[in-house]
Amino acid sequence: MEQAGLVKPETLDGLIKILHKIFENDIINVEEVQNIMEAYASKPQEWMKFAKFDQYRYTRNLVDEGNGKFNLMILCWGEGHGSSIHDHTDSHCFLKLLQGQLKETLFEWPDRKAHGDMVQKSQRILKETNSIGLHRVENVSHTECAVSLHLYSPPFSHCQTFDQRTGHRNTVRMTFWSKFGERTKLFNSFVIRENRHSA
Amino acid sequence: MELFEGASGVEDVLDLSHLNSNSLNFNSIGDKRRKDTRHLHLSHNRLMVLPDSIHWFTNLEFLDISNNGLSVICEDITRLTKLKTLLAKNNRLDEFAMPKEFGTLQLQVLNFSGNRFEEIPAQFLELQRLQSLSLGGNRLKSIPAEIEKLTSLEMLYLGGNLISTIPVELASLPFLTYLVLCDNRIQSIPPQFTRLHSLRSLSLHNNLLTYLPREILSLVQLQELSLRGNPLVVRFVKDMTYDPPSLLELAGRTIKSRNLQYSEEDLPSHLIRYLDLASKCPNPKCAGVYFDSCVRHIKFVDFCGKYRLPLMHYLCSPECSSPCSSNPQSDADSDDDQSVPADRLQRVLLG
Repeated sequence: MEQAGLVKPETLDGLIKILHKIFENDIINVEEVQNIMEAYASKPQEWMKFAKFDQYRYTRNLVDEGNGKFNLMILCWGEGHGSSIHDHTDSHCFLKLLQGQLKETLFEWPDRKAHGDMVQKSQRILKETNSIGLHRVENVSHTECAVSLHLYSPPFSHCQTFDQRTGHRNTVRMTFWSKFGERTKLFNSFVIRENRHSA
Repeated sequence: MELFEGASGVEDVLDLSHLNSNSLNFNSIGDKRRKDTRHLHLSHNRLMVLPDSIHWFTNLEFLDISNNGLSVICEDITRLTKLKTLLAKNNRLDEFAMPKEFGTLQLQVLNFSGNRFEEIPAQFLELQRLQSLSLGGNRLKSIPAEIEKLTSLEMLYLGGNLISTIPVELASLPFLTYLVLCDNRIQSIPPQFTRLHSLRSLSLHNNLLTYLPREILSLVQLQELSLRGNPLVVRFVKDMTYDPPSLLELAGRTIKSRNLQYSEEDLPSHLIRYLDLASKCPNPKCAGVYFDSCVRHIKFVDFCGKYRLPLMHYLCSPECSSPCSSNPQSDADSDDDQSVPADRLQRVLLG
């Protein structure tokens, strides 16, 4: 399949425009999306307004809703912040580091019947990635923050989180710390109540 | 992390960062500029020394000297009486690098992560106004008991060190909200952590914990707790050795449980001290106490229906049963699951 000429996105806005064009089609070339994400050279002054940090945990900041076809968001990781082990509910996840470093650990899907520690598949330090499956992402630095750009297609609002020691899974609702540069007023305690094991 | 939004006026901020220079001369900066500057950025240079003339910035509130080659901090920094935030990450500083009078500063935020500290210097513990202290990624072997002097402390980041025990005095910090102890060598958490009423987020991942104290359940403000990378027990093998109580202990237990009155006139002082060390047995059906002879009991508690955590507490005898169990027989096997009461820690995100 011919790529639409590899146009190098000069700005974040340019990247978004190109992504919209790519996602006009129903069939997406995963490599094309990956190459475009890689080609964008991170310029902090372009994304700083989306990069809102929280002291206690990593934040998800929505940048663009991709006409319903994808979600583009910026994640901000303070020192030592990490995610749970989670899946992406059949969506493709493209990730690119804008600042700092992240460590990704991939896991095997736990057997529903077995109990015991989940099996790690691999670990690496990320620059960019495209993954499907179970992973944990962490900022292991004690001195630097990390900022990452994520594209998920199709967008998803729920995912499963897993307990590493038992493989036990739990469905959680995803929330945004901010949307389009504005802090969302949805207060955490309401959201976290959703994290109880569902009836 | 320190969130620095750009200051209101350009005159407030002096940015000399990322200049790759190995010495800085403030002579060229005019008198007015020196007095007006509130934020001074000197990070990402190759400074080996902080010039004494730093004190010319008399109204300085924010100073960033991170990512240089500093192995000592000049004494003149203590003349910056308005300094609130000092960032000195990624240098070559240790506890001997600090000026003698450093503790007199009015600092609120201090970040010395990525240096070579093996101990928290005494001067840091004098900083009465300190709200946020980061010493992540150093070589700290312990936390001093004097940490309790930092009565304003809200955020303490000690991840990535060599800490193996936690002093009980850490639990005396009334406003501590965010405590990071990940990537250390910690084997146990003191039950006194129950006193950390403000604790919202506790990071314990990548340590040597085999269980947690049961008292952790009382941290009602807790929303984040990270425990991955600890060898938490999944099965508790009952401790077959039980040292029966000594005659001294039996006498002490009787005195305490029957509430017998005693005073310094009746008993020698060392026995008074002994009696004061009685611990209440957590078994709600037992009004007893214990001194040295106790049974370690681990109960697996279902956390928010997601995670089974081993929580440890002491009982006064093998016949006692754990609190929160309706059926005393069920304690015969420590593998039973008991749910945490619904109003407690439902909201905790574990990772």
